Amino acid sequence: MMKKLYLFLLVLVTTTATIFAQVRVSGTVTDSDGEGLPGVSILQVGTTVGTTTDINGSYTLNVTNANAVLRFTFVGMKTVEQPLNGRTTVNVTMESESIGLEEVVVTALGIARERKTLTYASQQISSVEISKARDINFMSSLSGKTSGLEIKKAASGAGGSTRTVLRGSKSLQGLSEPLYVIDGVPMVNRKGGQPGMWGGWDEGDGISQINQEDIESISVLKGSNAAVLYGSQGANGVVMINTKKGKAGTTDININSGTMFENVMLYPELQYKYGAINNAKESWSTTPLSKYDDKFVKDFFQTGYNLVNSISISGGTDKTTAYFSYGNTTARGVIPTNKYNKNNITFKQSTKLFKDKVRLSSNVMLANENTENRPPNGYYLNPLTGLYFFPRERDFQSFKENYQVWNDARNMFLQNWFVADHHQSNPYWILYKEPRTDLTKRVIASATVEYDIAKGLKFQTRTSIDYAVKTNEQQHAAGSNATNVSPNGRWYYRKYDDQLLYVDGIFTYNKRFGNISFDGLLGASWQKSVYGLGVSVDNGTNALFYPNEFNFQNLPLNVQVLSTLASRAVKQGAFANLQLGFKDMVFLDLSGRNDWSSTLAGTGNESYFYPSIGLSAILNQMLPLPDLITFSKVRASYTTVANEVPFNRINPMHTVTASGGVSRNTVAPFPDAKPEMLRSLEIGTEWRFFEGRFGFDFTYYNINSQDQFISLPALAGSGYTTYYVNAGEIINKGVELTLDAEPVSTSDFRWNTTFNFARNKNIVSELWPDDPGKRVDLGSSEGYFNYIVAGGSFGDLYGYKFLRNDAGQVILDAKGAPRKTALPELIGSLDPDFTLGWNNNFSYKRFSLGFLINGIFGGNCVSQTESMLDGAGVSKRSGDDRDRGYTVIDAVSEEGGAVTQIDPEKWYRAIGDRNGILEAYVYDRTNIRLTQLALSYDINVRALNLPIKAAAVSIVGQNLFFLYKKAPYDPELTMSTGLGSQSLDNFNVPATRTLGFNIKLNF
Amino acid sequence: MKKIISLAVLLVLLGACTKNFEEINSNPYQITDESLTQDFNHVGAYFQGLLSNLQGHQVEEDLATDSFVRHFGTPTPFVSNRNNTTYYITWNSFWGRIYNSVMSPSRQVIKIAEEGGYDVFAAWAKFIQVMGLSRLTAYHGPLIYSEYGKPTTPILYDSEKTLYDSFFRVIDETQAVFAANKTYPGLKKFDASYGGDITKWIKLMNSMRLRLAIRLSKADPTLAKQQGEKAIADAGGLILTNADNFNISLYGAKMPLAVICFEWQDTRMGAGMEEFLVGLKDPRIGKYFAPAKDASLYTDHPAFPYKGIASGAYLGAKDDRQLYSEVSEDWKSVTSRRFFTAAEVHFALAEAALRGWAGAGDAKTHYEEGIKMSFQNWGAGGVDTYLADATSTPINYVDPKDSRNSYTTRSTVTVAWDETATKEEKLEKIITQKWIDALTNANEVWCDHRRTGYPKLHYVPKNDSNQDWGIIPADGFLQRMPFVDAERNSNPEGVADATTKLGGPDLISTRLYFAPAGPNFPDEP
Repeated sequence: MMKKLYLFLLVLVTTTATIFAQVRVSGTVTDSDGEGLPGVSILQVGTTVGTTTDINGSYTLNVTNANAVLRFTFVGMKTVEQPLNGRTTVNVTMESESIGLEEVVVTALGIARERKTLTYASQQISSVEISKARDINFMSSLSGKTSGLEIKKAASGAGGSTRTVLRGSKSLQGLSEPLYVIDGVPMVNRKGGQPGMWGGWDEGDGISQINQEDIESISVLKGSNAAVLYGSQGANGVVMINTKKGKAGTTDININSGTMFENVMLYPELQYKYGAINNAKESWSTTPLSKYDDKFVKDFFQTGYNLVNSISISGGTDKTTAYFSYGNTTARGVIPTNKYNKNNITFKQSTKLFKDKVRLSSNVMLANENTENRPPNGYYLNPLTGLYFFPRERDFQSFKENYQVWNDARNMFLQNWFVADHHQSNPYWILYKEPRTDLTKRVIASATVEYDIAKGLKFQTRTSIDYAVKTNEQQHAAGSNATNVSPNGRWYYRKYDDQLLYVDGIFTYNKRFGNISFDGLLGASWQKSVYGLGVSVDNGTNALFYPNEFNFQNLPLNVQVLSTLASRAVKQGAFANLQLGFKDMVFLDLSGRNDWSSTLAGTGNESYFYPSIGLSAILNQMLPLPDLITFSKVRASYTTVANEVPFNRINPMHTVTASGGVSRNTVAPFPDAKPEMLRSLEIGTEWRFFEGRFGFDFTYYNINSQDQFISLPALAGSGYTTYYVNAGEIINKGVELTLDAEPVSTSDFRWNTTFNFARNKNIVSELWPDDPGKRVDLGSSEGYFNYIVAGGSFGDLYGYKFLRNDAGQVILDAKGAPRKTALPELIGSLDPDFTLGWNNNFSYKRFSLGFLINGIFGGNCVSQTESMLDGAGVSKRSGDDRDRGYTVIDAVSEEGGAVTQIDPEKWYRAIGDRNGILEAYVYDRTNIRLTQLALSYDINVRALNLPIKAAAVSIVGQNLFFLYKKAPYDPELTMSTGLGSQSLDNFNVPATRTLGFNIKLNF
Repeated sequence: MKKIISLAVLLVLLGACTKNFEEINSNPYQITDESLTQDFNHVGAYFQGLLSNLQGHQVEEDLATDSFVRHFGTPTPFVSNRNNTTYYITWNSFWGRIYNSVMSPSRQVIKIAEEGGYDVFAAWAKFIQVMGLSRLTAYHGPLIYSEYGKPTTPILYDSEKTLYDSFFRVIDETQAVFAANKTYPGLKKFDASYGGDITKWIKLMNSMRLRLAIRLSKADPTLAKQQGEKAIADAGGLILTNADNFNISLYGAKMPLAVICFEWQDTRMGAGMEEFLVGLKDPRIGKYFAPAKDASLYTDHPAFPYKGIASGAYLGAKDDRQLYSEVSEDWKSVTSRRFFTAAEVHFALAEAALRGWAGAGDAKTHYEEGIKMSFQNWGAGGVDTYLADATSTPINYVDPKDSRNSYTTRSTVTVAWDETATKEEKLEKIITQKWIDALTNANEVWCDHRRTGYPKLHYVPKNDSNQDWGIIPADGFLQRMPFVDAERNSNPEGVADATTKLGGPDLISTRLYFAPAGPNFPDEP
């Protein structure tokens, strides 16, 4: 198939070339070091005649006329145009654009700007960097490559969601996640359900559905500065995804095939010597036995794989370009039965009309994502609880082989497990008899019309629709855990649409008046979002009429089928932006936006305006600086962004209950709600030295979020259960530093290195002045409390601590067990002190080697898993202590006498299990890891006489090992990518390491 | 082209049309106030929610009250076997249910009803608040009532004395409204308990007054007598027959007890029930519980094949006691929960007679009538033999799985009435029977136990109480639940003030107002 396609395209290209051929031109394209540049596009201007350079930078082209003009284009290089003037040999040297002076970056609304004019921080990541990692969810591969971007990955395997935060959490209401934008148009990245302490599944997000092969580059606009033109949804920064397009005059076929293998890298440390006494479910025997099976936990996990295959075809003429791609991802997880399959089709075209004055472009992306048995987290219906807890003296193999047993009384197979316990089931029963499917079908389609009205004046309008149908379904067979599942089984089913319609219209005007440059923009946008529109049903423990039939007909009468709507909003905006430049040295940027938001309907505050201002100066053009300074810029900006409140908060109504009653809304009405206000100050500077070989970019920011829309549990005495206030002040301030250098650059060997540092400090300076003691609970359960209080910060972790005397010794109660504090106390912070990323790339001739080291420093994390393993007597710690005969403690008895030893069972049952003493399970989050290692080889296709333009093979490893880590699990894997329960491990799928190879062919 | 542009410009610039914003911002799947006015649902549709939240679920009852009165025992070693049942407070959530699901919506209902002139609905909601708070004060003592609905902190609690005064006053007011509207048909559609029969509600009001009067008989004998006599004398009458019992519909939901027992395997017969029901040869046992599934468990009394679990027991694995007596299969099909039975009224009248309240009648008659009503209500036979049994006494309890849980009974009570016995002995009989009848409706008998010391229940084998929540001596009982953490954090001045009103530290060992220490009949020699 591929071969035919290739031949066909080859014939097409050669024939078109032959028909018009009159003059044969050849030459070599080199870079400034004299190295041949492969893949440079060469086009005869005004025609469709074109070619690309081969691996040595050589080309031959038959042009139609001896005075033709050739245009040489290459990503990262300045475009060169050369009139032939009768020449038949044209050698060209192309200059790099990377010095920063002329670099064009894509900013808000997809508008390209020269990087030097920007008054705020942004960082661009190329497709090379993105594709290097071959992570199924490309967002996780950005970690460490951009300063200030904190990415946590759900512990749920392929297709799982990520939590991304730029410059700290700013709102108590939303997730503070950046807006995702594809080619200037916002896309939906709405999260499905997230697990909690008691269990649940990560129902994914939107970003994983993108085909990473389509990505040309990603720009991360970190502040709300850059995003002011998107309105409040861009308040937390913007991740701009710029997709590939067809290029005039060339035809490209790219084939990419990646194979990655995934293995568990970090198992919990367990003991296999001590079994249970009297058939208990906890292994608290004190008589060691060595013959117990110590492999069953490791044997449970399997080697997973990710196969990512894609093909893209692109090309075009001066008038029309097109890009088509197909991608398939097939994966299986480290937990048996977990499978993932994704198909992507993208078609993109662009046509110029009306004497090139109008350009029509369209882009259609289709995705179909199917996940089977995505692993859950938390206590309930999680295969890992039963696996880890399994009492050591029992035979796991027999339960593995016979996860179901025939039950005469019911004439059917039921679950076989050694205990009826709400926390655990037979792991294999869960895998095979409680199948889960998460399915997303999605289309993102957009159309753009650009019209050059007059010189410098342009109008563009865009329409896009992002429409996804999502289905989450789980069928729990009769015989599943009785705590959660009815005796006839349980059906969990949700089907809903997420839809975003976006329309904008923008005029731009650019003109130079002598020394002054003028770039103006005036536009308006309208968007309507409807999320979670559909049905859901979950019979829970209400018995289905007939066992194991999962459909609406089989639902008992006391189960409601719910019509659902998560959110519906219309937002209109009108915005203007003006950039004035003086002598290309100083740039002043003024923006303003007015929004009208339906979520504030009826408050009188539905229309709101917010302005911003920025200034940048290119010092090296203003002042005489030493030669070693190639570029120097300072920038400052002050931005305001207003953030509307969520859907249906102003005047919520009542709900019909399953029994036919009405549950009265007890949320206090909030008729004078107003939008939250974010004010950001950002100051930065960028310097490049030694002809651009070394440079840094430093940013300081201070983001002040006020008038937070806070949902507070009303005091019992107040008459309501919940009320809202506009109050509080959250400050995020921090610094971001990027250093990059090319320490070695010879013709054969190059070393590029980039160092990203970020530090964010979050301060909740005020919460609710009327009630200074008020706190907001971001998810508390089982002794883990994430409270927000005035004077604290977003990541404050509270929990029960040991009750200690003045000397710091643990106080024991009359029965010798440790006592805990009466109330949860502040233990630490979940947020790190700072983060580091160090990315390196070495290239030697045709080899290149890249590695990325990521470091998170400071902060805490919590493992409820360890607490439970201790309580159940299966942790290695509890075994070691039994070997010794006692647990070493520094404590005092109730009478005050020193106690240095305690019975391990007494100790671990008191501090561990549920609701123990959390302090014992709080760890330092600091970790440094080798995140990525990639070795690639660029095959010399010419020397090998291969009929292709380029080929490369690479070996890639991800999350390879920790250079430093204190927690017993990977703290950067998160149970939930929602707002609460951060840095918490509760029977999460263990961290994995992936290793594999990738082949890339270009025809 | 120009047309397209003009159109686009027009659309986006003039598009700032905010007319339909309110509709967009509403959830079409919620029911609006306007829609609810149809069929007068705006005053009535909430009552099933209010009523069904007067009683709790697992952590509010089964692992709290029901364990404190030894009706049920859990086989599950929750939280490493250290929790409410072993006197270490882990769950404390009945407060939230009453304030969030009863007080808050009823407050709005009262407002709507008063504004619309629906006096009976307003009175009904106010009376339901009293029913809820009178149960909640049995947990904590002081509560927020007179300052309920205050927008700013501190929100002060009422002392128990003030609370009971308010309860009696609100019963006066609401009863007056009901008495004036005896034929009002409006409640019919919304009242699954009495089908809108106002006269039955009046009987419940009188019975509530009597219940609270008995509760206060030790703390404030004068007020108790005055209110008790008022309840007895009222023309509206009391709940004296099972036909008038006040049961709250489950509205299609499952009986929590059945869910906890059969689905979660978290509750079993209490050792206290085995001790008394087996000892007194009580025929109701088969209506309450199912025989144990392992004959080796009840070798101490094979004729009564039941085995209970001690409250606050030492538990190994949850599986150890799964074969102990489950609740009777009947609980799977019940459609309502008992809230006030004729039996309770008769036992209250029997005690009122002992206390010499006017109109109370004869103690023996009410005692025996109470037992008969109970047998009838539970569908048990053999009441005459039972009433005549003057020899059977509670038995000792043996836990075949762990002898630390076994105990010797503290009670020597018999069923047959003995007119020559002391008042104290008579009271023990009355309260013991009231306690037996009150299965799944233990709130009042928990009060009775703390007030009178009857029945003589077993102590918890595993007592984990410590300074954190208060120390209960080995021969003592938990007296109350602490104020809730949410209040301690957000309304600290209110809680501090409440603690003074409580008259002791905010611990589980502090006795509540209605249960002062001392003899039940100080005048008796």
